[in-house]
Formats: sequence, C-alpha cells, structure tokens
Amino acid sequence: MPARILIVEDSPFVTDAFRVLLTAAGYEVDAAATVAEAIERGTSAPVDLMLLDLTLPDGSGLEILDALRKRGSLPRATLAMTGHNDSASRRSCFEAGCVDVLLKPVPIGELLRQIERHLA
Amino acid sequence: MSMSERLDSAPTKRLKTLEAQAKEAQRTIDELRARDALKTQFLSNVSHDLRTPLAAIITHAEILREGMLGDLNPKQRDSLSGIVSGGQQLIDMIDEILTYVRSASDQVSLVRTDFDITELVDQVRMLNQALAAKKHLTIERLNGDDLPPVYADRDKVKHVLANLIGNAIKFTPDGGRVWIGFSRRGRDGEDLVVEVGDNGRGIASDNYDLVFREFAQVDASPSRPHHGTGLGLAIARNLVELHSGTIWVESELGKGSRFYFTLPHNPPRD
Repeated sequence: MPARILIVEDSPFVTDAFRVLLTAAGYEVDAAATVAEAIERGTSAPVDLMLLDLTLPDGSGLEILDALRKRGSLPRATLAMTGHNDSASRRSCFEAGCVDVLLKPVPIGELLRQIERHLA
Repeated sequence: MSMSERLDSAPTKRLKTLEAQAKEAQRTIDELRARDALKTQFLSNVSHDLRTPLAAIITHAEILREGMLGDLNPKQRDSLSGIVSGGQQLIDMIDEILTYVRSASDQVSLVRTDFDITELVDQVRMLNQALAAKKHLTIERLNGDDLPPVYADRDKVKHVLANLIGNAIKFTPDGGRVWIGFSRRGRDGEDLVVEVGDNGRGIASDNYDLVFREFAQVDASPSRPHHGTGLGLAIARNLVELHSGTIWVESELGKGSRFYFTLPHNPPRD
C-alpha cells in the first residue's frame, strides 16, 4: 500500500504542484488548507508523513502537531516548509517535533529524497 | 491699548505662531511615519503574495523537466530549465525586498550568540565558490585564525557577508581577486573591523554614499550590465547599524573597492 502524505498548505497553487508531484511519485495524497482541516484529516485516517506549511489562515502549522499528538494521531514524520530561513523559526520547528525544515521553494529532487528517507 | 500692552503682545503673538507651526510640523511627521509604515506593510504583503505562486510555478516546471509526467526532448528540457532558473532569480529578488523591509522596520530584533566569525566567513566563501569559479575569481581569507568568538546575530552577520562578497564577485571582472580580512579599531582595539575587498571596477568617491542607499545603483540605466534590486548594500547597512556598528567603503575607479564594517567587541549581553 502506498504511504499516505498529508499536504498542509493554504495556497492552492502550491498544493496543486505538490499533489501532481507526489501522485506521480506513487504516494497517496491528501490535503488541508487550515489548522482545523489538517487536524480533521490527520485524525480521520493514519498519516505517514505530513508536509507542513507554518503560516496558515487560522493559526500556526505547529499547533497541528500538538493537537495530533494529544489525539494519538501523530504522523511518523513531519517536514516543515517555510519561506523564512532564520534559526529561530527552525528551532521552534524542531522543538515542536518536525524531523526537518525545508526552505520554500523546495527543489523537487530534495523533497522526494527527504520524504523517502523519513518513510524508510 | 497702552504702549506697554502693545510691547507685550508682540512676543506673545510670535510664541503662538511658533506653537502652531510646531504642531503642524508634528502632524506632518506623524503622517509621514504612518505612510512609511503602510508602504513597509504593502511591500511585505506583495512580496509574500508574489513568492507563493512563483514557488508553485517553479515546482510545476521542475516536475515537467524531470520527466515525471512523460518523456521530453532536450529542447523542451532546456526550455523548462529556463523557467526554473528565471523563477529562482525572481524568488531571490523578492527575498531581498522582504529582507530589506524587515531590516528597515522597527520590529526586527537581534538574536545574539557567541560564534566563530572566521568559520562563518569560510562558510560564505564556500557558498560563493561556484559563482566565483565561473568568473575565475579567487576568494581568500587573509587572517583571523586566532580571533576570539564574536557576540552578535549570526544569521544577520552572515547576510551582511553574503551581500558584500556577492557584490564583490558581481563587480570584479574575470580573473580578479576578492578577499576578506580582519583588524581592530578603537582606543583599546575594542571594535572588530571586517574588510571585504576586490580589485574590480571600483566606485567614484562621489558615489560612496549612493551605494548604501536603497534601490540605488551607480549605473541605473536600463542597459546597465549588472541588474538587481539595488537593495543588497542598504540591507547590509541596516543590519550593521542594528548591531551599533558602522559600514563604509574606500575605493578608487579602476582599482577596486574595500568595504568595511565594524562589530562592537563587547556589546551588552542580553
């Protein structure tokens, strides 16, 4: 069975691009555009890996990790994606439980390698 | 009105006029500040909103280029590579505008830690090695092996170094030299001076101030050989001044430029 990836991203442009990429790479893809939607999608079926945008319309992406942890539905791995490459925001991602922080736009080769590595 | 009343009323009138003028000036200052804040917010929003769809365009072009949706011929692949690298260049320019907006606003704060500045310089040299190799330039670090740790904001100092070294590479012709050196300044040598030098085209002394001004390039004509936002040195100036340091240039046309910035040796600990 293919691994299930949840894309959490409020821009439909970016979600579309990742959906095309990850589907072509053979993954099962689901998407959410808000914190509330991500918590709902993340608890309705087990997620293997979450691609997490940090700035969402109803809050910070990192809140999702807390909520899923409390519900016992934490994905095996979460990769944060951000437009800001400063060490303070990287640190808060790692503290919240992300396995890595990727700078947008993430080159697709690197994204696929990271996903493969964390699902292995 | 008696003579003495008339004499009294003249200074009172003058005082009232001055007070009115001061109030008017304050109103203008407040209004300009509010407009400046609005401009900053606008630039920040537009930059962020441009970045997101652009990131998606680049990803879509990469998916096609890598043949994930079907085979391509070499010409189609080259064309998609053009979209990817043009998009990446735009992202870099948008990031520069965002960094400038942040560095110029009052909200930005320093996160100071102790770090090895020679290691940081070497890291920025490594990051620029490929670009320098394309132009057959050398980037050397002249000294600094025995420097004690610097207490400053590492990310921001890295940004200053990257902008100065990037600029030096950009304005130095093929086969030239770029170097980074350290010295001390102040009565007890309390300030660290970082120098980024090159033997490139140089800057006329009339333009020393202009290069640090936002959106300014010495050659701003549409046919100028070096394009960019013209924000790199303005960002460097803001970030250095945030550290209570100073930045300046010494240069001569045709003989290269030396950019210097200082970092106070013992800033107050947070």
